[in-house]
Amino acid sequence: MASNWTERISAFCCSPSSFLSGTNPDAFLAELLRELRDDRASYGVKVLLLSPLCEYPTLLCSSESVGEETALDLMSVFTQCPPRSSQFRCHLLVALTSVLVCSSCVSNRSRASLDFIDLLLQICQDTSDRDGDGRQRCPRATACDCLCEIEASCPGLLSQRLELLAGLRQQETSWLHQAYAGLHILVLRNAVYQLTKQTGAGAAHLKALLDGNTSVAWEADQEAFHMVTKDSAIQSSLILGPMGRVPTLHTGPDCKELRSVLSSLLEESYLLTPLCQAALFRRLTEVVAMVPGIPPTIFRAQLLRLLGTNEVCLLHVTLLMKCAFTDSLFSAEDEAFLLKRLVVLSQHPLLSTPEKLFYMDCILHFPENRPINCGDSDEALPVLLTPQLASALLPTVFNDSATLLARLHLQALVFLEEGEEEGRGLAYIYDHLTALLHIVDRGGSRDIVVTFFRAAFLFLFYFQHVEGYSARLSEQLCQLYLQHTQLAPHILNLVDKTLERLPECNWALGLLQGLQRVISTAPLGQLTLRDLSCHLKVLARVAEEGKISQCSTLGFLSAVITQSSSLLCTSGDWRLGNGVLGVCRRVLLHPSLDSLLIPLADILQHLTCYYGDTDIQDHARLYYTLLTTLSREKLSVVLAQSAAEGGGQVKKRTLSCVMAESEGLTNILTVHQTEQPVFQLTEALSGLQQEMENLQLSQDEGDKALESYRAQFSESGFASQIMLKYHLTHTEPHDPRFEQIFSICLHFSLTDDHYEQLQDISVPCLFRQRPPPVVQLTLKPRRPYPTTIHVSAIFTSKDGLTWHTTMPDVHVEFQQAFLPLPVPLSWSRASRQDVFEGLWDEFCSEMGDCIISLFCCQLREAALKALVEKHFLPFLVSDLSQEDELRVLLFLPPRSHVLLKISSEEDATQFNMATDTRQLLPHMNSYLLTVTSSQDESVR
Amino acid sequence: MSLRALWIISNEKGQKASIRFSKRFSTVEHRARNLAGSSYVAVPEDSDFLQLLLTELGLSNSDKSYVADRDDCLYRPRSPAVELRLNGKGTLWPVLVLSQGPLILACLPLVDILSEPRPPLANLLSVSQGVTLLAGLQTFLLGSGVKLDSEGLASRVATLPSLLLQVCPLGTPFDTPLAGTPTASTVPTSTVTHKQPAWKTGVYRGRATVNVAVVETVRSMQYGNQSRQDLWDVYGTVTCKCEVEGALPNVTVTLSLPPNGSPLQDILVHPCVTSLDSSILTASSVDNADGSAFSGPYKFPFSPPLEPFRLCSYTSQVPVPPILGSYQLKEEENNLRVSVSLKLHESVRNSFEYCEAHLPFFNRNQMGVVDVKVSSGQVDVSKEKNLLVWGLGQKFPKSREVTLDGKISFTGSSLGPSDPLCTGLTAYIKLYLKVPDTTLSGCCVDQHSVQVYSSAKPRIVTSRELQSKEYFIWNSTGSAPVSSGQPDYLCRFKKSCWDVILLCLKTRLLVPQRHQVFDEATDSVRVCVAEDPGMQTDRQHDGCFT
Repeated sequence: MASNWTERISAFCCSPSSFLSGTNPDAFLAELLRELRDDRASYGVKVLLLSPLCEYPTLLCSSESVGEETALDLMSVFTQCPPRSSQFRCHLLVALTSVLVCSSCVSNRSRASLDFIDLLLQICQDTSDRDGDGRQRCPRATACDCLCEIEASCPGLLSQRLELLAGLRQQETSWLHQAYAGLHILVLRNAVYQLTKQTGAGAAHLKALLDGNTSVAWEADQEAFHMVTKDSAIQSSLILGPMGRVPTLHTGPDCKELRSVLSSLLEESYLLTPLCQAALFRRLTEVVAMVPGIPPTIFRAQLLRLLGTNEVCLLHVTLLMKCAFTDSLFSAEDEAFLLKRLVVLSQHPLLSTPEKLFYMDCILHFPENRPINCGDSDEALPVLLTPQLASALLPTVFNDSATLLARLHLQALVFLEEGEEEGRGLAYIYDHLTALLHIVDRGGSRDIVVTFFRAAFLFLFYFQHVEGYSARLSEQLCQLYLQHTQLAPHILNLVDKTLERLPECNWALGLLQGLQRVISTAPLGQLTLRDLSCHLKVLARVAEEGKISQCSTLGFLSAVITQSSSLLCTSGDWRLGNGVLGVCRRVLLHPSLDSLLIPLADILQHLTCYYGDTDIQDHARLYYTLLTTLSREKLSVVLAQSAAEGGGQVKKRTLSCVMAESEGLTNILTVHQTEQPVFQLTEALSGLQQEMENLQLSQDEGDKALESYRAQFSESGFASQIMLKYHLTHTEPHDPRFEQIFSICLHFSLTDDHYEQLQDISVPCLFRQRPPPVVQLTLKPRRPYPTTIHVSAIFTSKDGLTWHTTMPDVHVEFQQAFLPLPVPLSWSRASRQDVFEGLWDEFCSEMGDCIISLFCCQLREAALKALVEKHFLPFLVSDLSQEDELRVLLFLPPRSHVLLKISSEEDATQFNMATDTRQLLPHMNSYLLTVTSSQDESVR
Repeated sequence: MSLRALWIISNEKGQKASIRFSKRFSTVEHRARNLAGSSYVAVPEDSDFLQLLLTELGLSNSDKSYVADRDDCLYRPRSPAVELRLNGKGTLWPVLVLSQGPLILACLPLVDILSEPRPPLANLLSVSQGVTLLAGLQTFLLGSGVKLDSEGLASRVATLPSLLLQVCPLGTPFDTPLAGTPTASTVPTSTVTHKQPAWKTGVYRGRATVNVAVVETVRSMQYGNQSRQDLWDVYGTVTCKCEVEGALPNVTVTLSLPPNGSPLQDILVHPCVTSLDSSILTASSVDNADGSAFSGPYKFPFSPPLEPFRLCSYTSQVPVPPILGSYQLKEEENNLRVSVSLKLHESVRNSFEYCEAHLPFFNRNQMGVVDVKVSSGQVDVSKEKNLLVWGLGQKFPKSREVTLDGKISFTGSSLGPSDPLCTGLTAYIKLYLKVPDTTLSGCCVDQHSVQVYSSAKPRIVTSRELQSKEYFIWNSTGSAPVSSGQPDYLCRFKKSCWDVILLCLKTRLLVPQRHQVFDEATDSVRVCVAEDPGMQTDRQHDGCFT
């Protein structure tokens, strides 16, 4: 059993959604709680069982009431748990906190959450569990952590316990004082924040707060208090830099009490772990920032210790302090020192790369005492960062790629700021880029290649206007390309991105021209087919630029296809042929086509006659015909139509698409994937056998009703199916491409084995304007449990493309498997009642899987009647007018029954249940819970 | 200051990357939802997360040379915080990532600043806290990092749930996991009068002992070229192990320099140091060195934790490198003529624990005939026949200069390793050395300067040691892989060059070298056996090198 749980829990945590689609969250939760209460299960397993509750409480406890009940259950497990299994108790506390916080019980001050907070406070004060094992975290510490988390999620909740918490912190001498300190400062910070939001609050209120004299501090109405805690601003950091507005509490200089609390926390800060110290300092900073009566200089004594630290979080919190207090705590010398320190740390040999990169980021967001450009979060160089100082951060070829790019970026900003375009700094950067290029040239790894192109983009982004360098870079890239044609996609990506980001700059065009030149002037003898395929890609891109003359491109193509040793024509490679045609096609659209007419016609004619692939020949012939017969305007209209394809517009597949090069062609041949579901299945309301009412219920089976009912099942396939009707509708937002779709084939795949595999369903067409077609799913249950079905579809859009789309899952609810008693329609009510009676007696014996159960709820008579009419009418065996007891028979294929006797007692409505399939009970239970609670609300 | 989720991923070569452990902190997630409001982006399920992260780190589709999503030049991964672009569902930011060896650790800190589009990383305390926690977990999972054993890793991953209950039960990290448990006998603190530090879980009982070790590391790049400045630098660490009674005992360690020593710079201290003199922090390597700078003694008062710890670290600018080398290669017909000379500076103690010069050859066939003469020590050819190892033993000769001359033919049957940096005559010698009982900066800890405020007289042990790391001597007849033209005023470049030098050696093919274990944790190569390299020549190399 234990190993089974291990597997199930890990399956759950791996993918909660798919795990829960196979079961019911309520059922799973019930199972977890049952196992947790089981004395036979080991604590190891129980700890495991708690992990879904800790990590995904909202999935399991969907509503506040479920959260509340779960918490009550867990608390009873806690009270029964012996004190010696302290690890499990700790895990339980964490799980309880998770459940109560996430199901909003805490924020709504539910009964269970208040009890739980009392329990936590009790544990916190219980010093009898002085625990011997140093490293084991005892429940006392965990209780503090839980309180901390509750206060963080629901700020101000513990404000009235401030005095108690302060006392606990002061008394504690073991290492646990750290947990108390964390809790104390957080509660204090939130309490002060609340005071700042109360009009007229001042020193007296603050004093009362610290003394625990809450009647004074909280004479303000509870409404305002709730307002503050619901405001998410209180949860967010109050250190926002010089522009951030921190709410303040005006106390005047008289706040001795607060000052002494803060000093005592500061004094003991040294005793905390670096992580807790950092958190403490940040909270203290916030408090001091909110109370102007306390001067920031109270931090002075700690500063030197913090500035020399090797701990990243301690130095970071010091920077945040500087951000909050600027020159009221940090002198100009301090500022200079701190910046230098950051530069040192950004390249310190003993620090890890992530730490160094983080420090570099801190340089670019350095909190200056007197910032020049304030407000925006954009990166900016601190004034004090001179090129001299920044030179410690020059990139080198030995840097890892992230460091290299970060340094390059920083240096670029430095040199840009200096405005020294001809300077040696820029020369260094360019040399560095060249060094990288050489490594790429010598066969550097993929990582280096990508890094080089990113570095090149950065360089261009900042320095494309320095002609000398950008021209050289362009030249070097061309040479690099010639040596390594496989870099074509990287180079084209660089071209596209430069054009996109720097539309003013014509560097990219220059590079394309350069590439065209090196390709067309390189000796053909050494050209391999692989190179050729890359060249064609590049030339196709070059041909898209109207400003670049295409003469040399055509010269190259002509040479490639006509030279005597050319393998190209004889090999008849379809892909390469398409590559050549791709270039030709773009040239056909080129503005300077008139001057290119003859060489282009020659090329096309040659391809038509000599290319070794018929398809290419045909296409070439078509292009040739178009070129020689159509006017330029017509040509561009015909061709441009398909060139614009993929722009989200509906395009008719015309002749021009067929003759387009490989991309257009493969477009038609491949199945495309939609980005989002295009249509969905929505449940169609089925008027479930209303006609029943109109029939004469005359046939009476007498005593043998049950027998003849049973006899029907000997016939195979009897009553084994559930029919579910759905509408096939478009999803929103609507996509004009899919306004009209045809030949839809729906495919269903099951997520579990509760049902037999479903057949595919074909739908001829789906138009947005017309009423949705009805799709009938025929489900054959093996076990009638709720399930989820994945649905996908293949269809054809109006423009002739074939698409594959994933549709939203279809969820089959438990109640959808309900069928009325499967007997001939002519059976009389009495016979049906006989069957009910017979089955009921049988199930009550509780043999095999038979079981009875009772569900109670509070429903008024009218509500009950409405409920039965709404949900159970088709399944009613007795007469609705019958006052005392209603009988409902639910048949669930293939052979399960759930029988209900519903009666109203004085104070409650009882649903007596009997079933022959024990496993259905949890589902039935949660179904009843849903229908009764919703009925309850609707009637009220 | 909290984390929403945490992942530990293993990505071993030749295996599919998988999530070994993941944890979501639901209450923090609850806060994240409240804080972010409509711009809230949920954490994807594990399998989706893994795929997105691998793409982001450039680790997906490793067989394809260009993938648009992964290799776009516009995109600059801003480590340590990357963003994951969820398909049409916003971006997940900031995902902190630490990767080392086969492990990738990631976490998602809570963004507690309401800001559009997004606040700077530097304003989120949870980022540095996340980095600290991840680094702690990394050390815990990989141990000292000599070699990853998958069983050890699996067992350590299995202890994570209970470990996280201690250090980060609800998403707010309180501490980093302790890498090694203190060996000293400790007792729980029941009768303390003073508050006990949270980073100290017990109290030592027994004889007081204080162990202070100063280890200096020297790095160098020597080009033997007029136009290019040789570079070297030194950094040191002071490691302590203190076994002293009391909840908060006081210990003071004082570092001192010789009278003419150059000041210690860039001093970083352990958080257990109680106070610092501001003059100690003033000297910095990025500053113009000031002759009048404070040059000690450097006093560090602290209260020690139970486990060994790095009390402080520093850098120093020493006037000369310990060994000055020259390396010349000449391509002759079928042969490579090699000429090396190494000079030990007179200020350095001539007594090594080991000293070896490694001469790797890339982009060539295996070595055929090796005809070299050395004036001292002994030369071995590695088993793979692409590396010469010149063992210099424990001492340089009286003249303090050694030479190696000879010819090597590369007529072996198979091709040796390739390398994009070391093509043609671009080649280097790498020195491995360790000198006990000395430091280059002259920094030392005097036994008598260690003060322990306790009743019993403590035992005090101090030691010094100099070692090398990334000590390269480039062939002066080839072009060294550095950007040319260092502007004069940029001679500070010196420092920056040292950063992560090993990268190139990590990313490219390396010759497996004998006697060495590559230590991923410290990025250094440890020489395991150095007493008698000759004895080891044919021992099977265990392949630790990546």
